[in-house]
Amino acid sequence: MIERIGAIVRADFLIRFRRLSTVIVFLLLSGFAYVWVPDPKTGMTLMQINGARVLYNSAAIGMGTSMLATMFVGLFGFYVISNAIRRDIDSRCGYVIASTTVRTSEYVIGKFLGNVVFLTTFVGGFMLASMAMLLVRGEAPLEPLVFIKQYAIITPSTIVLVSVAAIVFESIPFLSGRFGDVAYFFLYCVSLAFVVNLMMHGGVGLARYFDFSGFGYLMEQTRRNFHTESMSIGMSSFDASKRVLVIDGFNLGGGAWATRLVSTVSSLPLLLLSRLFFHRFDPARLRAAGAKGKRGWMRNFNALARPFVRPLAALPVRGAALNDAKMTFAATPFAVFAFLGITIASVANPASVLVGFALAALFISDVASRDRRAGTTGLIYSAPRLRERFVTWKLRSATIAALLLLIAPLVHAAVAQRDRLLPLVVGVIFIAAAATSLGVISGNPKTFIVLFLTFWYVVVNDHGATKALDFAGFYSTPSLAVTLMYAAIAAAFVGAAEMVHRMRLSS
Amino acid sequence: MWLSAGEAPEAPRSYASRIHNRRARSPYTCGMLSIEGVSKKFRGGNYGVRDVSLSIGGGVVGLLGPNGAGKTTLMQMIATITRPTAGTIRFQGIDVAREPDAIRRKLGYLPQDFGVYDNLTAVEFLSYFAALKGVHSRARVGEMLEMVNLHNVAKRPIGGFSGGMKQRLGIAQALINDPDLVIVDEPTAGLDPEERVRFRNVLADAGLGKLVILSTHIVSDVESVATHIAIMSGGSIVACATPEELMRGAAGSVWEMVVASERFDELRRTARVSSAVRKSEGVHVRIVSTEEPSGGASAAEPTLEDAFLYTMISKAASGEAAA
Repeated sequence: MIERIGAIVRADFLIRFRRLSTVIVFLLLSGFAYVWVPDPKTGMTLMQINGARVLYNSAAIGMGTSMLATMFVGLFGFYVISNAIRRDIDSRCGYVIASTTVRTSEYVIGKFLGNVVFLTTFVGGFMLASMAMLLVRGEAPLEPLVFIKQYAIITPSTIVLVSVAAIVFESIPFLSGRFGDVAYFFLYCVSLAFVVNLMMHGGVGLARYFDFSGFGYLMEQTRRNFHTESMSIGMSSFDASKRVLVIDGFNLGGGAWATRLVSTVSSLPLLLLSRLFFHRFDPARLRAAGAKGKRGWMRNFNALARPFVRPLAALPVRGAALNDAKMTFAATPFAVFAFLGITIASVANPASVLVGFALAALFISDVASRDRRAGTTGLIYSAPRLRERFVTWKLRSATIAALLLLIAPLVHAAVAQRDRLLPLVVGVIFIAAAATSLGVISGNPKTFIVLFLTFWYVVVNDHGATKALDFAGFYSTPSLAVTLMYAAIAAAFVGAAEMVHRMRLSS
Repeated sequence: MWLSAGEAPEAPRSYASRIHNRRARSPYTCGMLSIEGVSKKFRGGNYGVRDVSLSIGGGVVGLLGPNGAGKTTLMQMIATITRPTAGTIRFQGIDVAREPDAIRRKLGYLPQDFGVYDNLTAVEFLSYFAALKGVHSRARVGEMLEMVNLHNVAKRPIGGFSGGMKQRLGIAQALINDPDLVIVDEPTAGLDPEERVRFRNVLADAGLGKLVILSTHIVSDVESVATHIAIMSGGSIVACATPEELMRGAAGSVWEMVVASERFDELRRTARVSSAVRKSEGVHVRIVSTEEPSGGASAAEPTLEDAFLYTMISKAASGEAAA
């Protein structure tokens, strides 16, 4: 049994770590340590408590970066690892596995541990990079054990939760697709805020056993040691006039070790769901799951919307981009409801355009990668010039689809607030460029979905306080510089995708 | 050894009805693999396989049939990947549905459109499946790579392999646990002629002393290696016999003639043409028909391709008669 589970873990690890994209993400994540641990001379710090910066010792940097690591793993880790079962379905190796004596529980545990090992390696890399930053910018000697202790207290609960969630979402048919990707993002954000809120307001004591992110624990410790709830982690400014704080990191006194331990294992029972729903590659169950998905609410929505889309699909349009955009609507008729919702909402409340942008982004997220996943890239490349102009073709297609979906807010801006029209159009081009670029580079819509949703979440919570984040002028008319900046970012996205596409063609 | 009962077809005209009768009497006696009244009904109500009874003793069995005939579903049920909704499958007396692990220990399976993990090397890939199948010997991995002639590229990532190399690696993983029953589903699809021949040879060597079930819709894939052939259509077995018996059954129903190009186009629409070769004197055509075609046709010795076509025609005719 152990040997079989070990083989699954090892194979998963090798498969993932030999992918170029994994290596790039790994290097980028490690590189983030450089950004997150700024030189205090610049007026910025990794961590401030009540305006005072912390002294850069092993405990402080370990504590701060472990919290950042848990946030990365919680938000992005899921999307990186939630393809373990899908890979076996696509390659059909799953059928071979199903014909062996490997038990379903062994397979589920193997895949779960594979996820754990992979995420732990990522976090380990980030920790080493952070230790290196202590050597570069530290104000105290490196104490590796103190450093590791911070990570050991904080990160395991998130690693286990995300590893479990990825397997559970993959095993449950209606959560294994794009809906699951979006649902996870909001579930994670909501559960994080819910648990932290409960703990901070002295609510249910039980909540601390489900504090997967460790943020509640961090806030509790801060309040106990420094009698404040005002703190920030990540590059932030500080009050130089205040005394530098020396912290000794997380402590496990007062039963904290038990809450952290329970937080780490409390998500494990969810694996039983995976055991229950996992199809063991039975084609009848896979087919039934697919049919159920199509029969379910999505199909009903599509069936209701189809009559509205039919005239659009029948329109004789010229040009590859228009045809591709038309196909996007024809393939997802329920976009009509999104269109109606955005139109009505934009008339009733122009501020709702922020939600409209999120819907449009989800709608166009797979435009650039759907051909690759459907295996029709060869057909497309055989059409005149599409092979060479694939990126710009998909960019135009995604832009047209997004513009059509957001036509009401755009018309409203053109009529009532002309100065907001340009930022809105640039915003549409920005999301289309990002969706196209990330779709082309990663070959799936997930990368764009998670990055955009995270960015969108930050923009929503910022409420326009940071002008540079307001990429489409949601809260006020942005300056020309901000609009030009997003236009430049869009161009950079397209340039990167074009470069990757050309490299692939030449190889 | 093939253990199905029944005589070789005698007269072409009665062949289809005899197939029906043989199935009605459930004549296939117990062998290594025994399938009795097996059906697979999907949730929508469609049948993938319907009331199949068959008994197979050993050797290489070719499972022939058009796309959608139910070959893959039948093989998946034998391979314990999906369960029959009716009937029983026994291998060496063990009920596959009740004791799946017992058959899994003796099974090697190569699914249709088998993919690989591109980032693993051949030796890592095989070691992975060896571990899953409980094979502890590292030497066995090397032996298998040598057998399929991939030992020289054992440490290269599989992503760079050709389709044929990947299929050979697939058969290596299927055989790594020295199974008694080997199931290979459409293994030559997409391979070039040279690789197809190489793959067939590997399979013929590997299948010695085992029961190998090889499904395909390409007759030439099985005619050189299969000791017995089962033909499926519409989810049912419509014939099962040795290749010689099948060819004897089609005797008197295969015709050869040489026609002008203009007539050939018309002939293609009106008759079952099993093959055609253009030569200087005209098009040499082989036709499968229970009646002699007009225009100077002469009786020809049936090939397995002709026999397959004849069986399918007979099946269609018996279906129409029953309707």
